[in-house]
Amino acid sequence: MSSTLHKRRDFIERSILSALAFLKEATLSEEYANRKGFLQSLDPRFKTISFLAFLVTAVSLKSAALIGTLYGFCLILAFFSNIPIRNFLLRTLLFIPLFSLCIVLPTLFSIVTPGEPVWSFRVLGINGIITRPGMDGAILFVVRIATSVSLVVLLSLTTQHSELLKVLRLFGVPQVFVLTVSMCYRYLYLFATMVENIFTAVKSRVGVVSHQRHGQNVVAWNIANTWNRTTQMSEEIYMAMLSRGYTGEPRLLSKFYAMPKDWIWLLCAVIICAGLFYRGHT
Amino acid sequence: MHIPDGYLSPETCGVFGAVMIPIWTAASKAVKKTLSVRQVPYLAIGAAFSFVIMMFNVPIPGGSTGHAVGGVLVAILLGPWAACIAVTVALVIQALLFGDGGITAIGANCFNMAFVLPFVGYYVYKLISSNSPSGSVRRVIAAGAGAYVGICVAALFAGIEFGFQPLLYHTANGQALYCPYGLNVAVPAMVLGHLMVFGWVEVIVTALVIKYLQKQNSVFFEGGRS
Repeated sequence: MSSTLHKRRDFIERSILSALAFLKEATLSEEYANRKGFLQSLDPRFKTISFLAFLVTAVSLKSAALIGTLYGFCLILAFFSNIPIRNFLLRTLLFIPLFSLCIVLPTLFSIVTPGEPVWSFRVLGINGIITRPGMDGAILFVVRIATSVSLVVLLSLTTQHSELLKVLRLFGVPQVFVLTVSMCYRYLYLFATMVENIFTAVKSRVGVVSHQRHGQNVVAWNIANTWNRTTQMSEEIYMAMLSRGYTGEPRLLSKFYAMPKDWIWLLCAVIICAGLFYRGHT
Repeated sequence: MHIPDGYLSPETCGVFGAVMIPIWTAASKAVKKTLSVRQVPYLAIGAAFSFVIMMFNVPIPGGSTGHAVGGVLVAILLGPWAACIAVTVALVIQALLFGDGGITAIGANCFNMAFVLPFVGYYVYKLISSNSPSGSVRRVIAAGAGAYVGICVAALFAGIEFGFQPLLYHTANGQALYCPYGLNVAVPAMVLGHLMVFGWVEVIVTALVIKYLQKQNSVFFEGGRS
């Protein structure tokens, strides 16, 4: 019992190091993006535009069945892109959709959403009535969120992150902003490693940080220390950029080549979205 | 506070995207004036810093943990306009690469966390700290107060955005198409949660970090490098 309590209160191990490990894993493991698969073979620009179109379609449709069709299509794409379906489902369904399901549960009941009763029960002397509009609304909400999250995760998994960030230029985002985003992304891993090393050092010296107040101080000191090191680093990075010929006007290298396959894919995506919109309005 | 895709209607997302465009433009101009050519590495690292802040889980009473947004802290350190860009960059990376916060909702998320939160918090901090010495306790209190007010006001805006969804977007029989709770539920749910729990996480992080920075080097909390 005491060891369980001890373990539970070791917030460094439980929350900080695990969160940082996730960040490092996510930033480094472009394993799926480097695999051979259908989505990996597409030009990132065309893929991003098509996925944005799917996303807007999923958010705009008002029928759970049609959004579900898009979700099914997303799973098929994941399969043909060599993404393990079990891992994909775990990653996409366990967090935001499950959280959304919890949020939307009260709306199932007549007390929140009045309407035609579908099922009634009695628990601890309280009558519960699930209504048709409540159930339909909850299904629509959760299916839409599951589909949206799946689309974004699939795009992110099958595209190299640096390329995905470069695609931002397509949408008229200023070059300086794109460069800032790209540089920020690169330094995330460095910061994550820096913070992880500090916490490991703290842990090796003081053991388990179980007291709440002590834990708060450790976090605050760590953030302050990270800030000091980042400001020092920004000067060094600027000098390094100058030494490599940075003149204040950023230039990004991008080698995107569109193939006939990319145009066909884009056409298919437009047809699918238009078809779903058409079905949704008739 | 990260709003995922599907909680807000496309129209709402479009409105907030449109609202943010002039804010981002103004932020770019303001930052360009103060940070000159050094802005890119400085902003990129500021953005990475604000991203990392969101990953620190702070222990809170009851054995649980919560994370801070850090928008007010970044605003105190970099200035509110630079904080707007730094938090925006962090939110874009989170949405695009990690699926945290929606891509369609990026305008609304940036409005709440990259505009309302740093600006409200920063000006509350300025109001309370006034001309007090940079190493004074008053600045620590001002930073904590700014963080608390900033995040609670941002939560209020998020609650209002959620609360308008069932009023504006529903079927003929009243079934909500997006976030199903009206203002009477969404606003108290968002605001109370932040008043009672997450606001205090923000206070702890912001005040303690400023206190540590005061001990180490007080030059950093003068509202950026201007």
